[in-house]
Amino acid sequence: MSIGEIIETTSTAFVAESFELNSPPPLGSLVVVQVSSETGTSTGLDLYAVVIYGQTVGLDPSRRAVRRSTDKVFDAAIYDQHPQLEHTLRTEFGAALVGFVADSVVRQHLPSQPPPLHYSVHTASVEQVRRFTNSLHYLRLLLVPHGEVPPPQVLAANVREVYQQRGVDRLWLDAAAREIATLLQSDHQALLTVLYSIDPGKVSPSTVRGGQI
Amino acid sequence: MPLKIERISQQLDRMARMIADSAPAREGFLGQAQDCLRSVNADALRQKLEWQRTQQIRIPWLVAVPRGDLSRSVPAPSPPADFCVVGSDASSIPLDRHSSVRYYVLNVGYAILCYGQKPDAVLEASSRLCFQDQDLYVFPQKWDVPIEGTLLGARMEVESLRISQQAMQQISRPTIALRDGPLILWTLQNESKEVKQALLRDLFEAMDALRQMGVPLAGYISYTGSRDVANSLRVWLCQGRPDECERCESSDYDLCQALATIHDRDLFIFLAQGERSELFGSSSQILEQYGRHRVDFFYMNVGEEIVRVEVPQWVGADADLLGLLHAAIYDQCRRSPAVPPYPPALQEAHEQAVITTTERRLVEGMVEQALGRHGQRVFRSAKDHSKRRRGV
Repeated sequence: MSIGEIIETTSTAFVAESFELNSPPPLGSLVVVQVSSETGTSTGLDLYAVVIYGQTVGLDPSRRAVRRSTDKVFDAAIYDQHPQLEHTLRTEFGAALVGFVADSVVRQHLPSQPPPLHYSVHTASVEQVRRFTNSLHYLRLLLVPHGEVPPPQVLAANVREVYQQRGVDRLWLDAAAREIATLLQSDHQALLTVLYSIDPGKVSPSTVRGGQI
Repeated sequence: MPLKIERISQQLDRMARMIADSAPAREGFLGQAQDCLRSVNADALRQKLEWQRTQQIRIPWLVAVPRGDLSRSVPAPSPPADFCVVGSDASSIPLDRHSSVRYYVLNVGYAILCYGQKPDAVLEASSRLCFQDQDLYVFPQKWDVPIEGTLLGARMEVESLRISQQAMQQISRPTIALRDGPLILWTLQNESKEVKQALLRDLFEAMDALRQMGVPLAGYISYTGSRDVANSLRVWLCQGRPDECERCESSDYDLCQALATIHDRDLFIFLAQGERSELFGSSSQILEQYGRHRVDFFYMNVGEEIVRVEVPQWVGADADLLGLLHAAIYDQCRRSPAVPPYPPALQEAHEQAVITTTERRLVEGMVEQALGRHGQRVFRSAKDHSKRRRGV
């Protein structure tokens, strides 16, 4: 399903304007940009990216949103009472590139070209998520800070999203936790943050120190 | 920095002190003026104004002809459950006399905001490059009377009403049309009758269409500088002729002179939030051309500000249309997050109409490129070049 259009693009990430106000894709979820075949591949590229932030702001950067609630009008009712908001606000989201599929082969590294500006962004189907996340190499691309959301939070959000989309795949979750533990072995605090964000009930400093993960 | 800020700073202080020193006297005269407004017999004032008009006694100011009691206040009715407000505004890239290419750009912005069961909004702009003789001259056959300056301003007003009227044809709910600024195009006053008629023709066509659609139209003037009602009070106080103040020996002379500095917006401060004043007729000469669309006005407290609202007489004469207009304007201001409030339909129309400096340069560049593609060069005046390059 097409959910947005790319309005800024680089080799590592892109920003897309969401088609629906106040509804960016979930933090950490996988999105796909389909690029037609001009680069030597027979079927084109499917670029994969992980959502690293979402925000809703004024369409015109010089117009800031202002308070509109009253005693009787608040939350969703504000949009009914001020229908112009649907046209004067915009929701955008950022996504970090984590790989691509070319000629049916999954590659988990940055593509040679950034996704083209103004191309559509789609949600990744369950099948696409399953196929792309069978390998966990892409997680290391999420360790690089891209915006305001700290990388451990993006990592944890991605693991939560994928775990659910893979049908509560416990084996995958364990593998992901081990991969993250390896990636963050020199950053104990970050590791704790990620693991706590994935499953607060099962994580304490002692579980990490005791090598249970 | 050529501007001597230090000098201005000293003068500013003097100005602020002068304003502060005169404040008590001003307040005192304002109180007297408001008392005068409450005590005026509207019928007698109307007769006096009419008598002076028929006797061709020159009144050197614009005056307001009261349609009823001057101190009457009318509370805002409730708006209908479903209704729309269409706001319009316009801006332009005026003709550049330093360029060899003659063109201007009109940009009309409009906002259609619908409230009720199915809230909806349309924010749009209609942009047009005007370069043909019929665009550039009031009388294109003779290449006479170029459309620039105040004539371009009037053209913008007319165009914004015409475009927004066309845009609202699909609306089936009760609708009001709001324009940013006056409906009384007094800037045309000094033009010839032929020029006035040529420019006002489209305005009246749009107003005819709105009338047929049952859409009340209003010109909304924020922070109005009008003194029409204050001037009428001067006529009321005047024992002689209003154009012979130097001979006046009346005991009301000081109040009369003070009224020359008092704005109507200060006189109508007694209106409670949402209330409007009685309707007033205007003595603006341009209205002689308006015929069936002659314009009246009222003042209204929209919350923290007294605004002037100008309406065609066919709106003022229809209690339903006037009530809808009054209710919708107040409702607009209640929806505004700003203090003082401003109708969101006008704010969004303005946002659509505005042409940024970057866009102005872009159009200029596009014109030069387009002409270049056809082997034509754009010449600019030496003065323009010197301002752009500013070499040292």
